[in-house]
Amino acid sequence: MTKPRVGLFVTCLVDAMRPQIGWATLRLLERAGCNVEVPRAQTCCGQPAGNSGDKRGAEKLARQVIEAFEGYDYLVGPSGSCVGQIRSYPTLFSDQGWRSRAEGLSRKSFEILGFLNDVMGWKPEGVRLDATATYHDSCSGLRELGVQEQPRALLEGVEGLQMRPLDGANVCCGFGGTFCVKYPEISTAIVSEKAANIVDTGADLLLAGDLGCLMNMAGRLHREGAATRCFHTAEVLAGMADGPAIGEEG
Amino acid sequence: MGASAFTQRAHDALADPNLKTAIDRTTGTAETKRAAAVGAFPEFQAARARGAAIKDHVIANLDHYLVEFERNAQAAGAHVHWARDKAEAAEIVTRICKDADAKLVTRAKSMLGEEIGLPHALDDAGIERVETDLAEHIIQLAHERPSHIIWPAMHRTREDVATLFFKDHHPPPDADDPASMVASARRILREKFMSADVGISGANFLIADTGATCTVTNEGNAELSTTPPRVHIVTAGIEKLVPSTDHAMALLRLLVRSATGGEVTQYTTFHSGPKRPGDADGPEEMHIVLVDNGRSRMVGDEFRQMLRCIRCGACMNHCVVYRQIGGHAYGGTYPGPMGAVLTPVLDGLAQSRDLPHACTMNGRCEEVCPVQIPLKTLLKAWRVRSWDSQQEVGPLRMGLGLWGFAARRPRLYHFGTRLALPVMRLFGKGGWIRRMPFAGGWTDTRDLPKPAARSFMSQHANHGNEGPK
Amino acid sequence: MSARDDILAAVQKGLTQGQGGAVQRRNPDAIRAEAAQLLANLDEIRPDLAAGDPVDAFVAKCANPALGVTLDRVANWQALPRAVIAYLDQHDLPHRLSVSGDPRLDALTGIEAHQPCAPDEAAAISVADWGVAETGSVVIHSAPDQPILNAMLPRHWLVVVEEKKILPFLDDYATYAASRPRNAVLITGSSGTTDIEGFFVRGAHGPGFVHVLLVAG
Ligand code: SF4
Repeated sequence: MTKPRVGLFVTCLVDAMRPQIGWATLRLLERAGCNVEVPRAQTCCGQPAGNSGDKRGAEKLARQVIEAFEGYDYLVGPSGSCVGQIRSYPTLFSDQGWRSRAEGLSRKSFEILGFLNDVMGWKPEGVRLDATATYHDSCSGLRELGVQEQPRALLEGVEGLQMRPLDGANVCCGFGGTFCVKYPEISTAIVSEKAANIVDTGADLLLAGDLGCLMNMAGRLHREGAATRCFHTAEVLAGMADGPAIGEEG
Repeated sequence: MGASAFTQRAHDALADPNLKTAIDRTTGTAETKRAAAVGAFPEFQAARARGAAIKDHVIANLDHYLVEFERNAQAAGAHVHWARDKAEAAEIVTRICKDADAKLVTRAKSMLGEEIGLPHALDDAGIERVETDLAEHIIQLAHERPSHIIWPAMHRTREDVATLFFKDHHPPPDADDPASMVASARRILREKFMSADVGISGANFLIADTGATCTVTNEGNAELSTTPPRVHIVTAGIEKLVPSTDHAMALLRLLVRSATGGEVTQYTTFHSGPKRPGDADGPEEMHIVLVDNGRSRMVGDEFRQMLRCIRCGACMNHCVVYRQIGGHAYGGTYPGPMGAVLTPVLDGLAQSRDLPHACTMNGRCEEVCPVQIPLKTLLKAWRVRSWDSQQEVGPLRMGLGLWGFAARRPRLYHFGTRLALPVMRLFGKGGWIRRMPFAGGWTDTRDLPKPAARSFMSQHANHGNEGPK
Repeated sequence: MSARDDILAAVQKGLTQGQGGAVQRRNPDAIRAEAAQLLANLDEIRPDLAAGDPVDAFVAKCANPALGVTLDRVANWQALPRAVIAYLDQHDLPHRLSVSGDPRLDALTGIEAHQPCAPDEAAAISVADWGVAETGSVVIHSAPDQPILNAMLPRHWLVVVEEKKILPFLDDYATYAASRPRNAVLITGSSGTTDIEGFFVRGAHGPGFVHVLLVAG
C-alpha cells in the first residue's frame, strides 16, 4: 500500500500560539504511515469571517484552502472547529464548479484524532506518561465530526495515564471564537463553571482537541490559581507532554 | 463599544446569584429527566426524523392545511378568525371578550398569547385577567414576563414565590413549601375558574382533518379555563397545523419527552367547537384566532425550518448561554436558541442583533431539538444578514477586514506573524500575558498564554519535517 | 383584502417564490397520500408496549409511581360498588360521590350520588371512554353523561375503564378522535406541577388522586 499524502493544516492558532501541537500532529501522521507536507499557502480556514456573518470573506479564504489542499489525499488538522469549517465550505459557494471542488476537499478533510483512529487504524505504542488526566470534548469536533470515542480510545493506549471522567465533558467551555471577546462576561461565567468541574476531577492534566478551547480553559484555570496543566491530546499521544504545558515557560 | 441593552441585561442577570440557583435547579432537573426519557425510547432518533418530516410536509402545504382546518373547525361550530400581526390578533381577542360582555377572563398559558401582547391588551381593555397556569400566576403577581417557554417562572426561587403568595393570597398559604403554595394557588384560582366569562387558551397542535385544537398541560388548568366560561377562545400560530390526530400523536411523543421528560402530559386535550346539544358542560361559543405575525414571511425565507418548532424548550435547557443569563436577558417573548432565531423575526434584527451573536455555536441545542431544527445554521443566517446590512460594529468589520486581507496573502501573513509574535511576547510574564492592549475582553478575566517565539510555519520553513532541535 | 386572503397569499408566495426554493404545488390527493406515508411503519417511531397484552401493559404503566395513580382490578360491573366503597374507606372519605351521569353508574348501591360536581368536591366518579396502554392514559369525551368538570374539579377522581376499551397505542385512539366531541381529554395520572423550582407537586388544579377501576367483564 502506498503511503497516503497528507497536507497538514496547521491552523492559525497553533501556528502562532503553540507550534508544538503542529509538530505533534506531524509526528503522529508520520508514525501512522503518512507522507506529510505542509503547504506554504495556508493561513486560516476562515472561521472568524464565517462566524461573523461575512460570507464573502469566508468564501475567499475557502478558495485559498481548497487550492492549497485539493491535490492531497487528505487534509488533516489538529482542530475540530477548523476542520468543521472546511467541511462546511460547500455551503459557501453558489458557483457549481467551486462547490464541487469544495465538496471534494470536504470529503477528505479530517481532524487528527479521528483520522488516526478511523482512517489509519493507528494505536500508540510505547508512549508513556505517568499522570492523571481528564478530557473535555470540544464542541465542533464532537458534534460536527463525531469525535468522541476516538481520543478516548487512543489515550487508553498511553501507558501510565489514568483518565478521570469530567462532569459535563460535552458542555461548551464558553470559547466560541469571537464570542469570548464579544461577550466576555457570559463567556467568563461559562468557563468558570467548566474550570470548577475540571478542578473537581483532581486530575493533573486537562486534555482537549482544540487549542481555542484549551487556551480559554487554561487561561481561566491559571487566573483562578488552579494547578491543572493543559495539553492538546495530540501532544500526549506524540509523547511530547513531558515539556511545558500551555502557558508554561519553555 | 458601548454596552448594548442585551449586554446590560446579561450583566444584571449574571450579577444575580439567586437567578443562577433558580435556573440551575429547573434546567438541571429538566436535562436529567429528558435524558432518561430519551434513553428509554430507543426509537427517538427515528421519531425525530419523522417529526421533522411531518412539520416540513405541513409547511410545504400550509395553505392547503389552513383552509382544511378552517372548514372543519367551522363545521364543528367554531368561529375562525385570521390575524396578520400581533396588534390585529390582540384586537380580535379583546373584541370577542367585549362582545361577550366579559368582566373576568381566565387564561391558560400560551406563549403565543405573550407574543401578541394579550395580557397587556386585556388589561388595557379593563377586563380582569386571571392567569391560571401556576407559573403564569406567579408571573402575574410579580408583574413580569415569562423567562422560559415551559417554566415561565423558572427564574424565581421558592423563597421568591413564597414572598409573593404571602403578600397576595388571601388567606395566605399555610407554609412556604411548594406543596402548601400550590394548594394555596389552587384555592385562590378555583373561584376564578368557576366565575369567568371567557377562557383563553393556546394550542400545541391544530388538527386539519377534524378542525380540533390540541393543548397539553400538566396542571389541568386548560380544561378548567375552557369548560366553565360561556366563551372559549383559542389563539394559535399558523405553523401549529398537523394533518391529523395521528400526526399530532407522533409529535406529542417528541414534545413531552423533550420538554419535561414525561411520556405524555397529564392532560392532552382536544377542543372542537362549542357545547353540543345536551352536553353536560362546555362553552356556548368557541373562537379560534389564527395568527401569522411574521410566519408567512418565514415560509419564504431562510428561516422556514424554524416553523418546525414545537416549543418544547429543550434547546434552552441545554444552552450554556441561557443557563447563565436566563430568559429575560434575551428581551423577547422567546428566549434561548429558538428565541435567538425567532426574536429577530418578530421584533426586527435592529432590536435584537445581539441574540444570534451571543452564541458559542456549540450545537448542543440542535443535537437535542426533537424536530431537528438546524439552529446553528439559522443563527448564522442572521449573522450574515446582520453583516450584509452593515449592522456589525466598525472595529469588528475593520479588524476582520485587515485579518482577511493578510490571511489571503500567505507570504505577507507569515511575515506579519513573524513580526507580531515577539511584540505580543513583550506583554508576557512567565508564560502568560495578564494584560494587553485591545485584549481586555480576554485578559480581564483570563490569562492569555504567551505566543511562541517563532511560528510553526517559520520553524518548518527552516527545518522541514524534521523540526527544530 | 381580508386578513385571511392576505395570509394565504403570503404563504403561497413564500412557497412558490421564496428564497428557500419553490415548493412543488400538489393536488389534495397527493398531499393526503404524502401525509399518510409519514405515518408508515409506526413501530419504528413509537415505544414498545410495557407488556405484550394491552391490558397488562396498561396495568404496568399505571403502576409507575411517576403517574400518581392507583389501580384496582374489578371482576365485573356488579363488583364495582364494593371496590368504590373500599377506596373511599381507605381514604376516610364519606360514601358520597359526584357521578357523571353514565347510566352504568346508576347501580352504585351504598353511595350517595349527586350531580353536578361542586368546585370543592371531595370525590367524583366517571366512566372512561377508552384507556391507552402505551401511556396508561384514560380518555373521556364530553357528552350529556360525561361532564368534563367531573374529572377536573374533585380532589379524588375515580374512573372506571372496561378492559375491552383498552387500546394499545395513542395512534389507536387517534381514530376515535374523528368523532369530534366538543372536548376529548386524555388523562394520564393525577394533576401536577413542576413550576416551583422544578419540584413536583401533586394536585395542582385537577385531582390530586386518580383511582382507576379496571373492569374485566
Ligand atoms: S427549537 Fe427545537 S428544541 Fe427549541 S423549543 Fe423548538 S422544538 Fe424545542
